[in-house]
Amino acid sequence: MSLLARVVETRDENVSIAAVEGEIDASNASEIAERLRTLLTNRSSLLVVDLTATTYIDSAGINLLFELASELEHRQQQLRLVVAPGSPIARMAAIVGLDAAVPTHSTRASALAGQS
Amino acid sequence: MRVLKSSDRDQLESLQRITDAALASLSVEQLLLELLLRISDILSTDTAAILLLDETGRLLHARAAKGIEEEVEQGVKIPVGRGFAGRIAAERRAVTIEDVDHADILNPILREKGIRSLLGVPLIVEQRVLGVLHVGSLSPRTFTGEDAALLQLAADRAAIAIEHATLSEQRQLAEALQRRLLPTDLSGMTGLELATRYLPASHESLGGDWYDAFAIDGGRVAVAIGDVVGHGVLAAAVMAQLRTALRAYAIEGHPPARVVELVNGMMAGLGPRAMTTLAYAVIDADECSVELVAAGHPPPLLISPDGEARYVETRGGIPLGVSEIARYESETFAFEPGSTMVLYTDGLVETRGAPIDDGLERLRALATRNGDLETLCMKLVAQMAPRERADDVAMLAARLLPVPERLAGRWPADRRALASVRRALRRWLATRGASDDEIYDIVVACQEACANAVEHAYRPGAHAFDLCATCDDGRVRLTVRDSGRWRPPRGTHRGRGVMMMRGLMDSVDIDHGEDGTTVVLERVLGASVA
Repeated sequence: MSLLARVVETRDENVSIAAVEGEIDASNASEIAERLRTLLTNRSSLLVVDLTATTYIDSAGINLLFELASELEHRQQQLRLVVAPGSPIARMAAIVGLDAAVPTHSTRASALAGQS
Repeated sequence: MRVLKSSDRDQLESLQRITDAALASLSVEQLLLELLLRISDILSTDTAAILLLDETGRLLHARAAKGIEEEVEQGVKIPVGRGFAGRIAAERRAVTIEDVDHADILNPILREKGIRSLLGVPLIVEQRVLGVLHVGSLSPRTFTGEDAALLQLAADRAAIAIEHATLSEQRQLAEALQRRLLPTDLSGMTGLELATRYLPASHESLGGDWYDAFAIDGGRVAVAIGDVVGHGVLAAAVMAQLRTALRAYAIEGHPPARVVELVNGMMAGLGPRAMTTLAYAVIDADECSVELVAAGHPPPLLISPDGEARYVETRGGIPLGVSEIARYESETFAFEPGSTMVLYTDGLVETRGAPIDDGLERLRALATRNGDLETLCMKLVAQMAPRERADDVAMLAARLLPVPERLAGRWPADRRALASVRRALRRWLATRGASDDEIYDIVVACQEACANAVEHAYRPGAHAFDLCATCDDGRVRLTVRDSGRWRPPRGTHRGRGVMMMRGLMDSVDIDHGEDGTTVVLERVLGASVA
């Protein structure tokens, strides 16, 4: 994994949680996408990507999340995001409409519960 | 000793010639083989072999053989004191065996090859046993005292040649190792200028001083300097492992004091004699600070932008490799843009017969009037390091470059360059008074333009892009220029980058010219984006 970011994973029976710590840009977005995909088993119904500790994301990272969301949808699985309200990440997500396209929660607990 | 016949003398002279020539050009292996051929020729023997003591001094390794080549091929090792060769090394005298069948022979190859009689002598230089030289006969032969004397004479000359060749080979190896280990490419560490020096001691083979510099993450650069106890290949080997361990632990993300503790723990596994002093510092160019851990190492010198030099007070942990359970603490101090930190080894400040405080004070005084970094290093080395040095000297100087009024640079059209653009831009924006949110927005917008330049640098020769940033009356203007052509946006992906630029900046202007694409982004600081 590149030095810019690390993915910290927690896996449950049918829920996978991945916290991306650090920076996501064009140099490591596809690597991170691969890593997130490996978290999904056929039994997983839900992938929660926690961006609370993400310090930088640009369109390469945003694109990866859009792609991942549509991939999961085709497999009848769901992607949910955790984004701290008012954070720069939240601003990026709003500009490109990511928060409207992918269920976005302010805490991990609410993402797991499925409430916004 | 018998009187040498004239033919013997001729033969010894021919041996002398080869040992002389050997000093200059032959490798140790070639030299040993040449010696064996000459010696077995002089004594008319069927076999000859040389075994040399290893570093522990407990085992003889077969290094060259004539007629019994299997000894070398199979890596025969004979413990000192045991068997035929082991006895010669232990007793430091010639041993003859008339009948191999009835003798204490450890090495089965000697019997298997049908050797009947053996004569061996020690290889001795300045009272030290280097190894054993032995010759053998396939037919029963009684080696005389004269044979033994002649072989010993040949061995004495051979030993000197072997000693020289081994030392020079070790020196070359150590030098090659050190050259590989000292970092050569210190460029690309944005915001930081580095200069280094290494001067070996006058008459020693290579010393154990080392340094290293590498990027950890974000804007942080690790610098380290140390002095491994000992010289030559062994010190170089310890140094190699140290550096690797230090880099690995640092890149893992451990805090500096922990990194040093982990390296110290690793040293314990390298044996009781593996010891080093260490000064390890992590320079954060964004935060303008340094976190330092010192382990038995003289204190770094800190020079302020206006040329004031003072020593950093270290907490002074013990050298690495002394105690496996040693604990280390770090201290953090401010490192303003324009400041310089000089790490050095004791060879720079220690003069025989003078207190180290004198050397430290001389260094401080010299550094006080400092010019550019290379000139500073040149001056310190020229005036501090004596021409006849008892110890080697290493020095690493790091200067945090002042943030320029106008940021301008050229980066390779490579995705990996993006992170370094971000660091440079963040630092520059902070000095222009941008808020954290503004910095974030502008950096993202700029990256979108840079990422496009990287992706579209598909035209031959288009391998770099230029970024220029200016700020006038709170209006930040970024120009990103490449010599490729933008492909029209494909699908929603490409569109998102442009969407983000427009969402984050006051104005976005993209010009697709014949010679390349220029993106101009503007944003007024202190106002929210409309």
